[in-house]
Parts: sequence; structure tokens; C-alpha cells
Amino acid sequence: MPVLLAAIGLAALYVVMFAIGGNEDLRDPLLGIDGLLLIHAAMTVFVVIVLIRPVASIAAHAALNTAIHRVGQTIAIIALAVMVGFILLQVYFRYVQGDALNWTEEAARFGMLWMTGLMAPIAYRKGGFVAIDMLERAIAPRAAALLTLLLMGISLWVLLICFDRGWNNHVDSLSGRGASASLRLPLDWFGGERMKFRNNWQYASIFVGVMLMIVVSVELLLRQIVTLMGRGDTLPPISHEEFVGAD
Amino acid sequence: MLLLFLPLFLILIMIGLPVIFALLASPFALIMLEGDQRNVVAGLYRNLYSGMDSFPLMALPFFMLAGEIMNRGGITTRLVEFSQAFMGHLRGGLAHVNILSSMLFAGLSGSAVADTSALGSTLIPAMEKNGYTRKFAAAITAASSVIGPIIPPSGIMIIYAYVMGESVAALFLAGIVPGIMVGLGLMVMVRVLADKYDLPKAERIVQRDQKISKVEYWVSFALIRLNIAGLLMAIYAGMSTRIGLSVLDENGDRVHSVSLWIVFVVTYLIAHALMMYYRGQVSADFRMVCKKAVAPLQTPVIILGGILVGVFTPTEASAVAVAYALIVSFFVLRSMKVRDLSGILTRSALATSAVLLLVGAAVAFKTVVSLSYAPQILSDAILGLSDNPLILLFLINILLFVVGMFLDAGPAIIILGPILGPIFVDLGVHTVHFAIIMSVNLTVGLATPPMGLVLFVASTVSGEKVETIARAILPFLAVEVFVIFLITYIPEISMTVPYLTGFLGCGEDIGFQACINPSPALN
Repeated sequence: MPVLLAAIGLAALYVVMFAIGGNEDLRDPLLGIDGLLLIHAAMTVFVVIVLIRPVASIAAHAALNTAIHRVGQTIAIIALAVMVGFILLQVYFRYVQGDALNWTEEAARFGMLWMTGLMAPIAYRKGGFVAIDMLERAIAPRAAALLTLLLMGISLWVLLICFDRGWNNHVDSLSGRGASASLRLPLDWFGGERMKFRNNWQYASIFVGVMLMIVVSVELLLRQIVTLMGRGDTLPPISHEEFVGAD
Repeated sequence: MLLLFLPLFLILIMIGLPVIFALLASPFALIMLEGDQRNVVAGLYRNLYSGMDSFPLMALPFFMLAGEIMNRGGITTRLVEFSQAFMGHLRGGLAHVNILSSMLFAGLSGSAVADTSALGSTLIPAMEKNGYTRKFAAAITAASSVIGPIIPPSGIMIIYAYVMGESVAALFLAGIVPGIMVGLGLMVMVRVLADKYDLPKAERIVQRDQKISKVEYWVSFALIRLNIAGLLMAIYAGMSTRIGLSVLDENGDRVHSVSLWIVFVVTYLIAHALMMYYRGQVSADFRMVCKKAVAPLQTPVIILGGILVGVFTPTEASAVAVAYALIVSFFVLRSMKVRDLSGILTRSALATSAVLLLVGAAVAFKTVVSLSYAPQILSDAILGLSDNPLILLFLINILLFVVGMFLDAGPAIIILGPILGPIFVDLGVHTVHFAIIMSVNLTVGLATPPMGLVLFVASTVSGEKVETIARAILPFLAVEVFVIFLITYIPEISMTVPYLTGFLGCGEDIGFQACINPSPALN
């Protein structure tokens, strides 16, 4: 129960940091409070908590990640199944009905991007990103642990840049606010009017993936620091899955 | 300044940064150092996104999914039994069975790792029981599973085709003959080693008293005749103009004087007669094993047939392959349950998401490659070594082989394709030919120590140490290297099939030789 509460608190902190930190427009005064001040406050709280209770904050991160990933995985596998369905529908309509559908391809790509965005953080957390780990295995354990820490730092830096550019120059951009040419939300089935998909509904997929990977990255980084301090044995292991076919 | 991004990138991946992040980190860092804080980095992020937003790439998750379904659905066992019935009686029988199974499995899946884990878990214990050493069993499994991504469908060829803007179909077709050659070469090596290691001679192992459901019996009955009839019809279609049964009209379309339906019925009857003749020649058990392999082996027929006839794009073919695998597993073999599906979908989604993100990062990286003049500088350096394409191809094979030792095929192809491809195209190597050289070479790299993905999987499956397998695999690697050089220097090996099927994009008036050996800097 305390882990659950901590995870919820952590989620709230992340929401504040992501929502205000990522958005250039919101960094300016928000509700009368300076946005930058708010994000700095959130980050300070975050760092203080992590410093005081490192192991507990890792447990909270683990709980948060597991919960988000469970939902993400469910959506992703449904997306994969639906993608297959759309492409089969495309073949069926072209040959059997003689009337090619115009939206199946774009809809399947929509599904693929969301599948990637939601699954990639899981793959990252479980060690599924290809890396050459020869050096790490060759050098002394303590040096290897420091090297890993450095590499995780670089990864987090890359993700933070992707996060910043992803929101301000992609999702929240002119083309992001534009509408899709072929995808429509079929609201007419419920008596409404057909609504065009906005491009950023699709753009958001990778952006969401980047945000989730940042949370994963922070968890891995904290784990590595605790391991370096010699308390790695107190951490619950992350299950590593066999990765198939990623050649 | 931007020129430094390539060395920086190499340093980053050598110290162990995940390739995805290294592809982004080096351009990010250098561009920001140059003072451009906004637009170029934002452009890189957009390329990361749009690099994944592609219809041809969708074949990747679908083929992965189809392979997973067929593996779970018990199709692997059937292929192994089928291979046993054919090859089991040779000297070193189970080793040959292992190779043939890999070749058949290659037609269903596009990944060497899936091949190793699927076949290794059944065949390595069986080989040990029959008197092979475990390291030999693991080595032959690893060596033969390299065929998986060479014979279509192939994950790395989809990636290469997408990153380099080639035709997936042309690459698939070009991979068929090299894949078969690797298989045959390995079989010869097994025969040579059989005397040295005194490998056991097995009896022709045909599973006795196999049962088959009524549905599957009739499905296989119809399908095998349909396959032969289809083959005969293809031959007829090719010959009909020559023997006067069809004419070309002014649009260049063929007008047949005999209705194709009649031709179909006739060929179907011929196929039936052939099968009835063959039936008399073999034992009932042998027939049963073959019959049980018919339904699984339709997958390559659907994929290649569909692409060749032009019915579907490779992506659509992969979706149809998924549907077919589901139908076979659920209704014909009845070996899968609905609750297995979520596990299968999860594994496919997990593996492809990492690869797709890598492709996106590579597309972002590729824009920097072209911005930085790196290809021109590298190309000058390489051309400074020699301007003879044959020598350069030799050198590049060595480079690729070394890279393949340290890096998996997918990332390596993504990184090196955009850099090396244009250089060799300028030298007059056909794009498809170069793609095949790269794909085969880097795929073989999956089985080379010290960093061979397939070796690690073979080690996990067999319980043998990676170093031991790495030593036992050396004779088979020698064969594969030999095949790589054959493919490199005899373009006809890989290029004939795509040329004959018209996927190289050469007009009728351009001859075969002119088509596969384009003049330098023209294609």
C-alpha cells in the first residue's frame, strides 16, 4: 500500500514536470504562478525524495513503470492484432469487393506507431535495446558500474532532448495541428458528425514513448547508483525476457 | 565539425551505449556544439518519427508474428519430421536434417534467432541422443539458422530495402539461390566432417503410424495438387506464345486462345496423375509425413507467389501469412489455443518495437550522414585504395565480416548501408547485388564470435558454452565465407531470379549482362 501511494505521488510529480517542463508556452506564467518556478519546485521535491529514500523511490518507480507498462502492453498487442485486420481488410476489399478502401493503410500505420511507442519502453526496461557490452565485461566491476552509469546518463540526455523537440517542434506544431487526409472518427455511427483525425494524435505515439522511456531511464539510473553504493542486493530484479528475432 | 560525428558515434557504441541512443546522441551533441539549438535537432526528431511511419516497414512485425504463430502452433515439429524422412538416412543424418529444416523454416520466418531457438530446442537433444557431441549439434544449428534471413521472407532485407529505397520483392527473390547455396554448402561440409568425426549413420527415420485429421487430409490432398498445377500453369504461361497457343495484343497483354480455366483443369488432372504415380513408389508412413508438411509449407508459396504474381505487396503478403498461420494452427493442426495469442502478440510487439525505433533513429542518422559529406570523404578514401571494384568488394567483405562479429545484422545494415551503398553503386555494382552481399555477409556475422546473437541463443538452448560452440562452428563458417565470395564475384547467382521475374526494373531491350552489371555511376 505505501508503495502504491508513493507511485501515485511520483506519477503526479512526473505529470507536473512533463506537462509544464515540456511546453514552452506553459513555462511562462501559468495561473499567476511562474511555470519555471513550479517545475523547479517539482524537480527539487523529486531530487530530495530520491536522495532521502533511494531504495523506496526505486520501488515506487518500479511500481509505476509496471502499472503503466501493463496498460501499454495491452493496448499495443490490440493495436498489432487490429493492424493485421486492417491490412487483410484492405486486400479483401480490393479483390473481393473491387473497391479499395482509402483509410486502411494509414490506420494500420497509426496502430504500428502506437504499438512502437508503448512497447519500446518495455523493451528498454527489460534490456532489449541492442548494445555492444564487450568493454563492460572486459573491465573491472567497479569501473564497469561507473561506465554503465555514464551510458545511462547519456541515454537520459538523448531522451530529454527528444522530449523537448518532440513536443514543441512536432506534436505541438503547425503540421501536428493539421488534419489527416483519410482518417475519420466515425461519429456518424452515433448520430454525430464524422471528425477528422488530427495529425498529432499519431505524432503523440512516439512522444508518449519518449516520456515513458524517460521514466524507465530514471529508474535504471537510480538502480545503478544504488548498486554503486553497494546496496544492489536490496533491489528487486527486473525480469529479463528472451528477445526473439531482433536480428 | 560535423565530420566528427562518425568517430564519435563509433566511440559511443564501442563503450556500450545502446545503438538507438548512439545514433541520436552523436548528431545531437555535435549540432548543439555548433550552436544550432533548435531547427536541425528538431528536424532530427521529426526524421526519427517519420522514419518509423512507413507502410513497407509494417512487414517486419507481421512476419515476426507469423513466425511466432507457426513456431507455437507445432509447425516446427512437422518440418523436422519431414526433413528426417528425406535426409535421415545419409551419413551424419541428423545434421543434414538440421540444415534442411533450417532451409524450410527460413521460408516461414525471417529471423535467424527464431530459427535457432525453434529448431535447436527440438534437434539438439535429438542429435545428442543419437551420438553427436553437443557442441557439434549446437554449432550446426547456429550455422544453419543463418539461412533464415537469407531465404525470403527476411527481416533484415525489409530493413535494408526501406532504408535504401530498394524493392523488397527484388531483394527477397535475389536471396533464394544464395540461401539454398549456403544450405548445400553446409551439407557438403557435414559429409566431409562425417569421416573425420565418424558421425553416426542414421536409418531413414520415418515416424510410424502417424495420424492425420480428416480435414487436414483433404486440405493437403487439394493443396499439393494445386501447387503442382500452379507450377505447370506458370510454365504453360511462359511457353504458350512460343507454341502458338497465345498471342500478344497491341498493348503487350497476352491473349490466350485456350481458356485458362480449361488449362487449369488439365494441369490439375496432370498433377493428380503425377501424385498417384508417386504414391505407388513410397511407403504409407513416408506419404503421411509428407502430407503433414503440406499445409505448413504453403506459407512461402503464398508469400512468394503473391508477390510474384503481383497480387499483393510484401506487407500485405505478410498479413496474409499471419492469417494463414492462424488458420492452420487453429483449424487444421488444432495445436493452438486462443489464450496463447496474447503471449505471441506480446513477444512479436516487443521485438519489433525495438527494431522499429532503431530504424527511425537510423533515418535521422542518415540525414546527418548526407549533411556531413562523410560518404564523399569515405568514398575518396576507399577509392584511393584501389579503383578496381573487384578488389574493393573483397575489402568491403572483410570490413563487413569484422563489423558483423561485433554488431547484429539489423543495426549494422542500418548504419553501413547509407554510407557504403552509394560508393559501390558509383563503381557499377547493381544496388540489388550489393544489398545481397551486405545482407548475407552481415547475417553470417550473427554466427561469428565474439558477439554473435545466434551463438548466444544456441548456447542458451543447448547449455553448451559460447566459446565451445564458437570453435566447433569454424568449419561451417568457412563454407559460409566461401559462399559469400561466390555471391560477390558471380552476380548471376543472386541476380538471375529477380531478373527473370522482372523485378530488377530492366526493360526487355536491355540484356541480362547489361542489366546486372550497370555501367559505373549510372544506376
